Amino acid sequence: MPSSSDSTAGPQLCYHCGEQVPVGADLGVVIAGEIRPMCCPGCRAVAQLISANGLENFYQQRTAYNLRPQEREVAALEQYLVYDDPALAASFTDIDSAGNMTARLLLGGISCAACTWLIEQTMARLPGVSRALVNLQQSRLDIQFDPARIPLSQVFARLDALGYQVRPFQASAQRRQMGEEYRLELRRLAVAGLGMMQVGMFAVALHAGDIQGIENQYQGLLRWVSLLVASFVVLFSARPFFTTAWRHLRQGALVMDLPVALAIGLAWLASAWATASGGGQVYFDSVVMFTFFLLLGRFLERRVRQRHALTWFDAQSALPDAVSARRGGQWATVPRVQLQSGDIVLVRAGETVPVDGRVCDGCSAVREDTFNGEPLPRRVRPDDTVYAGTVNVEAALELEVLGSYLDSRLAALQRSVEQAQTAKPRLARLADRIASWFVGAILLVTTATALVWSHLAPDQALWISLSVLVISCPCALALATPAALTSAASALRSTGVIVRGENALESLARTTHLIFDKTGTLTEGSLAITDVRLLAELPRERVLALAAAMQQYSGHPVARAFSAIDAAASLDQVQYTVGAGLEARAGDHTYRLGSESFCRGQALALPPPPAEPLYWVALVRDELPLAWIGLADRTRDEAAAVVGAATAAGLQVELLTGDGSGQGPLLARRLGIETVSSGLEPQQKMAHVRALQATGAVVAMVGDGLNDAPVLGLADASFAVANATDLARTQADFVLLDGDLNSVIRTWRKARQCRRVILQNFAWALAYNACGIPLAALGFIPPWAAAIGMSLSSLLVVVNSLRLNGGPNTA
Amino acid sequence: MDSLYLLIPIALLFCAIGIKLLLWAIDNGQYDDLDKEAWKILADDEPALPSTEQDGSPPDQQRREQP
Repeated sequence: MPSSSDSTAGPQLCYHCGEQVPVGADLGVVIAGEIRPMCCPGCRAVAQLISANGLENFYQQRTAYNLRPQEREVAALEQYLVYDDPALAASFTDIDSAGNMTARLLLGGISCAACTWLIEQTMARLPGVSRALVNLQQSRLDIQFDPARIPLSQVFARLDALGYQVRPFQASAQRRQMGEEYRLELRRLAVAGLGMMQVGMFAVALHAGDIQGIENQYQGLLRWVSLLVASFVVLFSARPFFTTAWRHLRQGALVMDLPVALAIGLAWLASAWATASGGGQVYFDSVVMFTFFLLLGRFLERRVRQRHALTWFDAQSALPDAVSARRGGQWATVPRVQLQSGDIVLVRAGETVPVDGRVCDGCSAVREDTFNGEPLPRRVRPDDTVYAGTVNVEAALELEVLGSYLDSRLAALQRSVEQAQTAKPRLARLADRIASWFVGAILLVTTATALVWSHLAPDQALWISLSVLVISCPCALALATPAALTSAASALRSTGVIVRGENALESLARTTHLIFDKTGTLTEGSLAITDVRLLAELPRERVLALAAAMQQYSGHPVARAFSAIDAAASLDQVQYTVGAGLEARAGDHTYRLGSESFCRGQALALPPPPAEPLYWVALVRDELPLAWIGLADRTRDEAAAVVGAATAAGLQVELLTGDGSGQGPLLARRLGIETVSSGLEPQQKMAHVRALQATGAVVAMVGDGLNDAPVLGLADASFAVANATDLARTQADFVLLDGDLNSVIRTWRKARQCRRVILQNFAWALAYNACGIPLAALGFIPPWAAAIGMSLSSLLVVVNSLRLNGGPNTA
Repeated sequence: MDSLYLLIPIALLFCAIGIKLLLWAIDNGQYDDLDKEAWKILADDEPALPSTEQDGSPPDQQRREQP
């Protein structure tokens, strides 16, 4: 439980989201009688709401930290008012005969089962809401309410206030298919399980009969009913093994499913033949048990990966739903989807740009971290183009819409993500590589057995060669991988790493190159004051306090770096000049804070900024230069240690960044990274990784932003750090929940350990076969021994895999 | 021992009914969310509430709390 260890050593962590509380922030909330620290007003608001509703229990019950609520300047409710429009709501709501509305909503930020409880309890207590049901697996809320008593927009706003992102749930084909596949798998598992119990009971009677004698008529009866049940299980439950094996065989690939399908199919055929002819031996219990074990192993492996279904928010969902557009000389709020080329829209400071557009009025700066990952904004003036998904930081802009979402640069980014997925190289799985020669060996041994016995005792040749096939049943072999992967994934989950990618652990264990993104990954992704050069007699504290007081009036990202500083006494007449800086009066003095040219306009004596590649702002009082304040994106504390550990472990560490300034190489030199590529667009990053892969390298990528999403999708194994955008999370194989870069190395070690366990499992399974097959070939193994041997060897594999569940440092 | 000819088919019938019921429950969506249901029985349905009016309490308070 994350909540129990907060107050121990180290920096204070936010009680709600688990991030570090900034120095000087005083945002405590009393929860269950104790003051808990909060990192930001967003977390505080959510925690207060939870506490005010008497739902503090949530914090005791949850198993993971919540996501930090998104910061936004616009009132939440206003954003959601568009959903009160029946036409827009129709696609995800139904209205029943009594006038109640049922809405299907997609929730972002659900981290554990306790969240579902919190949401259900909170929503069900709103007046007018009759039913609220959360599906954790799909991150979906079905809520029934009376729209006359509570409008849909209120439902949205309430969920938003709880700190969850909320969107209409659109049943995409992929999502529906996943749901159906899950149910089908469960059905197969249910049939195999119940069938296994039935056949098992009959098998006990048959095995007892083998040992102490049984009348032929009863043996026949038991065999026939076993055949009936087993056939049902083989035809229904074991079908995917046959189809997968066949599909790959037609493409000339041998996969693990082939020996599985062979074992199931042949053992079933042999037993059916024995039942019909009244001779030989039956292996129905082995067939059914094998099917059940394997289905269970694969089901659990998939479940542990898909359990924490991180919602599939696409790039488009970052855009606002409601937009201010000019309609007949007035500003009206319209749904974004109704915008057309040529419309004029208004984007206020702090809002996300909803469409690609040309600036027709206003000067401002837009933060384009979506495309380049950088926190510093780009200045725009009339006739410049701004892109959907970027954030307008300084002043209101009027834009002429250039095209629909599908034509936007953001949509192109999303498309390149989809391309990256198909371009991702598929590393052959260990199991499949073993399967190919395993099949060959088994067929060879069986043929040899048949040949030898047809000379020695022709009447027994068929049964003995069949028993070789059954004893070689690759149950332990086929379970070796899923059991180890499940165990490793749940161990990682408890240390704050979610494993999502299929085979990701196997790929990670083979990684040769570890590539980091810069901003937001190796660094914190926001500016902090790193250097102050005093130019006058004023002490440093005074300078910073003055600057902080002025920055309170600015929405520029630079201003956030000053928010932790105690601001100086009140200022008058603060004026903000877009793209230049701030001017304020205090007493008889006029202060200016901002760019070099802006400040020199008032104080001619201002020296040029220091040479270090920082983001410099000047502070002047009347004609007197006071200071240069240098800001930079702070490097994460653990970054150097992580890079060092990776290099020591023999990995090639590289830095890929969208930042074209000198910061990339500078940071790399400080951290000891030798290979750096800076100023890269998302597509160039992809090309770089693809080139590496072409030389045979196995690439692991660590990133956070939307701009990293395509390259995360392409890399053999990928990590999304905490607070990564949704699109980056959905592309990553591993999601680091606690934002600790050390998890990258920890996960890598776990993956190596997992690979060792898989190899041990294979070794054991093959050793079992190597001992069993000769005995079977000599005719020594009766069906009951085959069943016991199979179960025991599988059990051993599972127990060995469970070792991975031990402490995170056992590697 | 001839009773086996009756008892085994009856057992199979029960098994078939069991499978049928389980498949119905799966299709009905009762197993769609294994985590939540497992967790739910441990949670209080009705957490300690100061008073019931509070949930309907002033919407302006809610709005103030929004981030």
